[in-house]
Amino acid sequence: MAIDKVTSAALETSTNQPNFRNIVINGDMSQAQRGTSASSLTSSGYHSVDRYTTSIINLGTWTQSQSTTVPTGQGFATSLKMDCTTADASPAADDALFIKHKIEGQNLQYLKKGTSSAESTTLSFWVRSNKTGTYITRLQDSDNSRNISQSYTISSADTWEKKTLTFAGDTTGALGNDNGSSLELNFWLGAGSTYTSGTLNTSWNSITDANNAVGQVNLADSTSNEWYVTGVQLEAGTSASDFEFLPVDANLTRCQRYFEKSYQMADAPGTSGSGGSYGLQFGGATANIDATIIMSTRKRATPTLTVYDLAGTSNKASYYTGSWNNGGSLGGSRGRETYVHVDTNISSSSIVAWHFTADSEL
Amino acid sequence: MITLVKKNYNKYNNEFESYELTRNGITMCVPLDEANTDYQAIQQWISEGNTVIDNGN
Repeated sequence: MAIDKVTSAALETSTNQPNFRNIVINGDMSQAQRGTSASSLTSSGYHSVDRYTTSIINLGTWTQSQSTTVPTGQGFATSLKMDCTTADASPAADDALFIKHKIEGQNLQYLKKGTSSAESTTLSFWVRSNKTGTYITRLQDSDNSRNISQSYTISSADTWEKKTLTFAGDTTGALGNDNGSSLELNFWLGAGSTYTSGTLNTSWNSITDANNAVGQVNLADSTSNEWYVTGVQLEAGTSASDFEFLPVDANLTRCQRYFEKSYQMADAPGTSGSGGSYGLQFGGATANIDATIIMSTRKRATPTLTVYDLAGTSNKASYYTGSWNNGGSLGGSRGRETYVHVDTNISSSSIVAWHFTADSEL
Repeated sequence: MITLVKKNYNKYNNEFESYELTRNGITMCVPLDEANTDYQAIQQWISEGNTVIDNGN
């Protein structure tokens, strides 16, 4: 029997194994190492679900959470939820709100961006909101300051809808083959006139702010508003395949390239308690105990290291002097791509213990 | 929001090896790596006229 061609879809069907065609990491929102909920959000950053950063530029106050509200029968257990807690019905010109997913250039070389063979990409996702209307997604090439946007419509309030959007390939601007942020996927949720006063940019062009989010509804206009997303998949080609579910260990490892914690999975960094903590014990009291811990996953770049004592105070360690104490000083701790080194500055103790986070997010 | 940045020196060789960054009440150790986004944020913070505390080694 002759086999003409083995496609990735056929291979996956035959083996029932993923082939990592989803460019997005944690598209099912199943990992939330920083915590499952963050409230009173008015500033940008990584707040809950792994690999999704939120840009909040003077547009409302938000609770972001890993929600268990999901589309029925699709295999998802979690979604990312944005819940407006302080409204802003009249955004100033420069105000904006969007979710970002940043992707390393070295993972995108097969898209052949910047060549005559540049690949199209197709984005698919499930979305739900009480706020119906037009929403904008955008791909931004951070290496060459280019972008392309597509709109989608939430038609029915409080109803999960699957959206599929195809972005043309870009024959201009190659992506860096390195560990930097080359491509951003943006989900706009609100924007002032700086980003909405032009014509929506539906082909690859140099960035013009006014064309970024034309038509975008303002999710911040009421404290009744909420928005959910899950099943985010960006893949090469002009059609969307079924969502690529990964085993939990594979998904977590991919997330840990960018962020890792010592805490138990259910505990947000800064939680009081010893579960998951590291420690070092000596036969007798000694000064300035140092320890090196190999991390689970090599980091994208040298990480920012945050050490917590067991009471949840940063830049401190716990130590034992007949009983446990918190608030022990550190002296020159550091993170590297593969390990963290905790260097205490405690005059006399027989045991030291601490938690850590290592952050090398894009 | 960044509230404090200090230089950290290696206690063995006295070389400047990282920044101590306090942001939103959490203090962390930021490496001197241009690919680290916290390092990038500190450089931006410095370019805006803010001052890094340097207590020497």
